[in-house]
Amino acid sequence: MATKFKKIIASVLVALLLVPMFGCLAEAPLTVQAAEKERGDYGLAAENDRYALYMREEGLAIMVYDKSSGAYMESAVSIDDGKNNALWQGAMQSALVLNLIYANVDTQQADLINDDITQEVTYTENGFSARIYWKQYQLGMTLEVTLNEDGITARIPDESIVEEGEAYIGTIALYPYLGYSYLDEKEGYMLLPDGNGALIYLDDKEGRFSTGYTGMVYGTDTGFVDSDTTRLWRDKFEMVNEANNILAPVFGMAHTGEGIAYLAVVEEGDQRAMIEASPNGVSIDYNRIFARFTERRLYTQPTSNNSTSGSFKMVEVDRSHSDLQVRYLFLSGDQANYCGMARAYRDYLLKGGFLKAVPDEYRTRVDFLGTEREAWVVGTSAVVMTTVEDIKEIYADLEQQGVKDLLSLYKGWQKGGLYNVPVTACKAASEIGGTGSLKELMKDSGDKGIKLYLYSDALRINPTEQNATFNVVKKINKRKLEEKTHKDVYEEFMWLTPARTDYLLNKLLKSYTKNGVNRLALGGISDHLYSYNYSGTFYSRHQCAESYYNTVAKADEAMDLVLEQPFAYLWDHTESFLDMPLYTSSYIFEDESVPFLSIVLKGVMPVYSEYVNFEANKQEFFLKMVETGTCPSYLITKASSADLIYTNSSDIYSSEYSVYRDDIISYTKELAAVHEQTAGASIVGHEIREGGITVVTYDNGVKIYLNYSNEQQSTDGYTLDGMSYLVSK
Amino acid sequence: MKKAWKKLFVSLTALLLFLGVAADSMKVQADSPYRTYTIDGDGYVTETQTAYLPYQTITKIGEEALLAPTDFTLTDDGYMYILDSGNRRVVVADMEANLIAAFGEGILVNPRGMYVTADHTCYVADRDAKSIFVFDGNGELIHTYGKPDHPLYGGDLDFLPLKVVVNESGTMYVICESNNNGIVQISPVEGGTFLGYFGTNRTSASLWRIIWRAIQTDAQRAKSLGNLPSTPDNMAIDEKGLIYTVTRGEGYDTLKRLNIAGVNMIECDSYEAVPAAVAVGNHDNVFVASTNGYIYEYNNEGDLLFVFGGSDDGQQRIGLSTKVEAIQIDGKDKIYILDSDKAQIQVFEPTEFTKHLHDALYLFSKGRYTESKVPLNQVLRMNNLFDYANMAMGKALLQEEDYDGAIRYAKLAKDYDGYSDAFWEIRNNWLKRNLVTVILLLVGLWLVKKLLGLADKRWGILKGPKAALKWLGERKLMRELRYMFYFIRHPIDGCYGIKRQNQVSLASANIMLVTGILFYVINKYFCGFLFKTVREGYFDIFSDVGLLLVALALITGCNYLMCTINDGEGKLKHIYCSFIYSLTPYLIFMPVIFAISHVVTYNEAFFVDFATLFMFIWIGILVFISVREINNYTIKETVKIIGLTVFTILIALLLAFIIYVLWAQVFDFVQSLFGEVVYKIGN
Repeated sequence: MATKFKKIIASVLVALLLVPMFGCLAEAPLTVQAAEKERGDYGLAAENDRYALYMREEGLAIMVYDKSSGAYMESAVSIDDGKNNALWQGAMQSALVLNLIYANVDTQQADLINDDITQEVTYTENGFSARIYWKQYQLGMTLEVTLNEDGITARIPDESIVEEGEAYIGTIALYPYLGYSYLDEKEGYMLLPDGNGALIYLDDKEGRFSTGYTGMVYGTDTGFVDSDTTRLWRDKFEMVNEANNILAPVFGMAHTGEGIAYLAVVEEGDQRAMIEASPNGVSIDYNRIFARFTERRLYTQPTSNNSTSGSFKMVEVDRSHSDLQVRYLFLSGDQANYCGMARAYRDYLLKGGFLKAVPDEYRTRVDFLGTEREAWVVGTSAVVMTTVEDIKEIYADLEQQGVKDLLSLYKGWQKGGLYNVPVTACKAASEIGGTGSLKELMKDSGDKGIKLYLYSDALRINPTEQNATFNVVKKINKRKLEEKTHKDVYEEFMWLTPARTDYLLNKLLKSYTKNGVNRLALGGISDHLYSYNYSGTFYSRHQCAESYYNTVAKADEAMDLVLEQPFAYLWDHTESFLDMPLYTSSYIFEDESVPFLSIVLKGVMPVYSEYVNFEANKQEFFLKMVETGTCPSYLITKASSADLIYTNSSDIYSSEYSVYRDDIISYTKELAAVHEQTAGASIVGHEIREGGITVVTYDNGVKIYLNYSNEQQSTDGYTLDGMSYLVSK
Repeated sequence: MKKAWKKLFVSLTALLLFLGVAADSMKVQADSPYRTYTIDGDGYVTETQTAYLPYQTITKIGEEALLAPTDFTLTDDGYMYILDSGNRRVVVADMEANLIAAFGEGILVNPRGMYVTADHTCYVADRDAKSIFVFDGNGELIHTYGKPDHPLYGGDLDFLPLKVVVNESGTMYVICESNNNGIVQISPVEGGTFLGYFGTNRTSASLWRIIWRAIQTDAQRAKSLGNLPSTPDNMAIDEKGLIYTVTRGEGYDTLKRLNIAGVNMIECDSYEAVPAAVAVGNHDNVFVASTNGYIYEYNNEGDLLFVFGGSDDGQQRIGLSTKVEAIQIDGKDKIYILDSDKAQIQVFEPTEFTKHLHDALYLFSKGRYTESKVPLNQVLRMNNLFDYANMAMGKALLQEEDYDGAIRYAKLAKDYDGYSDAFWEIRNNWLKRNLVTVILLLVGLWLVKKLLGLADKRWGILKGPKAALKWLGERKLMRELRYMFYFIRHPIDGCYGIKRQNQVSLASANIMLVTGILFYVINKYFCGFLFKTVREGYFDIFSDVGLLLVALALITGCNYLMCTINDGEGKLKHIYCSFIYSLTPYLIFMPVIFAISHVVTYNEAFFVDFATLFMFIWIGILVFISVREINNYTIKETVKIIGLTVFTILIALLLAFIIYVLWAQVFDFVQSLFGEVVYKIGN
C-alpha cells in the first residue's frame, strides 16, 4: 500500500511539474487526473479539481484525498494498536457517535459499528446521503456529506432526526476521528479555539494528560449551571479565572509533514455545539478533534428553594431544533498550517458576508468611567470618577501630544452610575455634567475625529435600583438566574429576557436618535448566550442567538455600533472588535499559543485589546499587540482609582489618567508607526522560532520580528535586544 | 525531518528544557488562570495585579518520572533534590531538570521529608523506617538516627519522623507524627543526642472547656480526648537559623517564626486553614502553600502581600494544583510548588509588579524609606489600592515630614498608628500656626457676650428672644424633655416623678429614643478615623436600628414580665420611660465624644475611653436605681430581678430560634413535596 502511495505521489509531482510547462505554451485549461475509483476499502464517492471524497459504507467512514499532493485524511482509525475495547473501536470507525439519555442517565453510547442499525446510502452528485436507524433505540437521522470546492460539508438535517423510543439523543459527535493520528506518527497539530488560538502538537504525550479540551461554543450555557459551583477562597472570592469563551465555532487539524490540513467551521447548530480535542494518552493513544452537538441535556431540578433539601435529575423536554452542519475547509502545501487556516476562515467569513469589512485604521482606545456608587447611610452615594469636562481636558492634552486617533467608550455615564442598568434613555448623570454637556462632548469629539461611544450593558438588570420582578430570565430548572457579584454595594444582577432587551434597546435607540447621539457600544448580550425559561416556556440558545442577532442588527442599522468581545455570529454587525483575548486559558495540554483570531481579523476589522491597566507584564503585552496588530485599550479615570474601593468596581485598582498618560502617548506613537507599515495588509505568515523569536509576515512584504526573551537574539541577519521588536520591509 | 521533529517535541518538559538552555530567562507567554488578591488593614480583600505567572512545569527529571513526591529542596548552587517517595529514592537534578543522580533505593522505606545543607548533605525523614537517614554529597549513607533514648523524649512515644530541617551546627529539627510535644531537636554528637522539644504549640482552653473540666472527675478527665497541642504540618529554616512552622487549625498562629527560645515572633493578619508547607523568601518574606493550591506571600511582619493560585477541579490549567506538598523559592524569587498528585513541580515567576514590590520590601525593611519611595511609586502606579505599598509610603512620607501625604496613605492603608502619628503632627502644626488666632477668637467671643449682656441690660435688646425661649421652655413637651437633666442628678426623685407625678410622657421618651439612635448611628459611621469600629464604606443602618429596637423591646418587655410576677409596682410605661431617661448620659456625652474623636490621636485616646466608660457606669447606676424605685424593691430584690430579666431574655431568644428553625423545616418540607409533585406531573 505504501509503495502504491509513493507511486501516486511521484506521478502527481511529475504531473504538477509538467502541467505549468504546457500551460505556459498553450494556455490550455488545467487538466486534472481523475481519481482512482477505489482506495483500500474505500470507494470514490465524489471528486472535483482538487479533492476526491472516498467512502466506506461500514461506519460511513470517509477519506478526503488531496489530488495535488496525494495527502489524505480519513475519519476511521486504520491503525489498531490492539489496546482498545469494542466501545472505543466502534467510536473510532463511526461517522456518528451518539450519547444517549436513557432513564435519566446520559452515558449510553450508540455508534454505527456496535449497534444494530439499518443504513441506506444514496449517492448524490457531490457525495452521499445516508439514512441511519438504530433499531434498538428507535432513533434515526440522515447524514449528508458533500464535496465542494474547498473541502467537504457534513450535515444532519434537523427534520431527519427522529426519536421514537424511550431513549433520547444526548449528544451527536460528527466524524470524531477525521484527521486523527496515532501517537507521534504524524507531524502537526490541532488548533483549538481557546482564547486567541492554541495548538496541541501531535507528539507523543507519554500519557501525561488525563483529560483533553472540551469547550462549549460561545461559552458555558448559564441556563444549565446548577448553582454557584465555583470554588471560592474564603467563601467569597473567586480564585480561578473562567476559561476563555470560544468566540468562533472553529477547530483545525494540520498534518504539516504531509502538507494537509483542515479548518472546520461549525456552520449550523453551533450554539449548542462543543469542541473537543484530545491528545494521545487521554483514554486512548489517538489525537483527535471534533464537534459534538448537544440535542438534550440533563439538569438538576431542586424541589425547594433550600438547595440542600432535595432535587432530582430531569431531561430537557424538547431536543434542540437546528440543522447540524460542519464545513471542513481543506488546505494543502504551504497553506496547511494555522496561518493558512486563519486565512481560509477569513475568506470564508468575507465570502459568506459573516464579517463586516471595516477600513483598517489605528486608534488607541481610551475608555472612561463616569460615576460609580458606594453605600451610604441610606441608599448609595455617587463616586464621581470622570466628568465630561475631565474628558475634554484629557482629549485636549492628548491632542497636544500628538495622540488624535482615539476610540472611547464612556462607561457609567448614565444617571445612577455604571451599574444602574439597563439604560433606557439618554439621560446622563448630573455629576458628570448632565445630558446637555454630554451631547456637546459627543458632537465636539465627533468633529475632531474621535469616536466616542456611550456604553450600555443590555443584558443585566440591577434589582436594587430597578424593578426586576418581571421580564427576567429563569434557568432551565425554573430558578431565577441570579449573577452573584461577590461585591458589597450590589450583590447580584439578573438577566433580562432577550425580548425585553430588544424592547428596552429600541427605546434607548429612539432616545439616542432624538438627542443626536449616534455611537453605541453594547456589552452583555455580545458575549453571553444561554438557554432560559420564561413564563413556563423553554427557550433554547438558538432562539436566544436569533433574538440577539436581530436586536444587534437593528442597533447597527441605527447607530455606529461596537460590541464587546462579540461571538462570531455577530461579527457582521460591529465596527470593531473590542476586548480581543491575546492569550489562551493556559491548559496544561496546550503546547503553543497562536494569534489565530488576530490573523483572521487583521486588516479586515480593527481589533482592540483587553485593558492594558491590569496586565502585570506590560512589556510582554505590548509585544503581543505589535505581533497581532492589536490596538491598545485603557480604562481611564480622572480621579484616583482608590476612590473606587468601596464600590462594585473595586477590582479597578489602577486607572488614573496621570498614571497612564505617558504610556498612552508612547504606545500610540510606536503602535501607530507599526500600523502605518501594515495598514490594510493581512498576515500571511506567522512563525515561532527558537529562543523566543516570533516572525510575522504581511502580504505587503513587511516582516515584524519580535524577541520575547530577555536576552539579545539574532535572526535573519537582524539583532534584537531583549523584549523588543523590529519592523523590516 | 520526522526524527528532528520528534526530538524537538519529545515532551513539553524537553521543549521547556530546551528553551531554558537557549535562554535562561525565557518566558512562557501565558495568562494566569488564577486571580491574585491582597488584603488591607481592615481585613478587606481586594484584587490586584497578577503577582506570579506560571513559568514552567517539570513533570520529568531527565527521562525519569516521579511518583508521589513529598518534598524537595533547592540548593544555592543550582541543584534540585526531590524526594521521590513513591519510588523510595532521592532524585538530584539541575535546574533544567536534567537527571544528575538518584540514591537511597533499598534504604528508604516511606520517606516523607528531606533537607539538604549547603554542602549537599542530605537528611531524609523516613516515617516507616522510624529514622533520619543522612547521605553525603555522593549519595552514600553516612548516618542513621533512630528514636532518641533520652528519658525526656517519652518512653512510650514512637519516633515517626515526617519533616526535618537542619541548622548550621548540624542540629536536626524533626516533626514527628503523633508526637504532640513539639519539634524534636536532635544534636548530631554521640550518634544523636536528644536536646529537647521545641516550639510546642499551645492548646486553647475555651471557657466552656475550663468549666467542663472543673466538674469532671479525674477518671472522666483521663478518659476524655485530651486537649493536646497540634503537631506542626511543616517547617522551614532561614539563614539566621529561625524556624518557621505551619500548623493547621491554629488560627492566626498557623504560621509561626520561632526564635532560638521557641518564641513566636510573627503575627499574621490572615491565615490558611490547611497549610502544606512554608518557605522563606529573599526579602525577609515568607511563603505558605496550602494543600489545595493557594500560595500566600507575607512580609516579615506577617502582613499578607498576595494570595494566588487555586485548586484544579479537573480543568488541567497551568498553575492550579491538586495536592501541594512542598514549596521552595530560588535566588531569582521564582516559586517552586511540588504537587504530589500531579507528580510535578510547577514554577512561578514574579511579574514586573512583584519585582517592584520586592525592591520596596527590601529597602523598607532596611529602613531606607526615602529610597524605597521609587519602587513604591511604581507599585502604586500599577495598583492604587495596594495596601502594603500605601502603608510603606505613608511611613516614608512621615519620616520626610510630609504629614499631609502620610495621613492620606495611612488612611488608605488603614494604618491606624501611622495615621495617629501623622495626625498628631498635623494638629500640632495647626495649633502652632493658629494658637494666637484661636485665643483672639475666644477672647472676641467672650467680649461679644459681655457686650450683648450690657446692651441687654441697658436697652433690653434680647428681650424678644428671651421671651420666646421662655415660652418654648414652658411647653409641656419641652418641660418633659428638660426633666432628663433633673432625672440624672436625682434619680430617686426622678423615678418618683415618672411614677407618680406624670413628669414625663411617652412622646418625650420616644423623642429621646430617636435622638439616641441617631447619635448612635452618627457616631458609629462618622466618628474620627482612629475610633471607628466599622469598616470604611460600610453601612447597615437598618440592622443597627432594628437591633437597638429589638434589644430595647426585649429588655423592657422581659423586665416588665419579671416585675409583674415579683410584686413590682411598675407599669410598662413607667419602666419604659425610666429606662429611656436612664440613657440620658448617652445623649449628653455622645456629642462630646463624637467631637473629640475627631481631634484626638492615640496619645489622647484616654479621653475618649474614659468618657465612654464614665458614661456607661452612670447609665448602669441609673438603670439599677430605676428598676428599684419604679418597682419599690430592695437592693437584693433588684439584683434578683435584673438576673431574672437576663435569663428571660435568653429564654426568649432561644424560643424564637427554635420556632424559626422548626417553621423553616416545615415550610421546606411542604415546598419540597409540592415542588416534586409539580415538576414530576409537569413533565
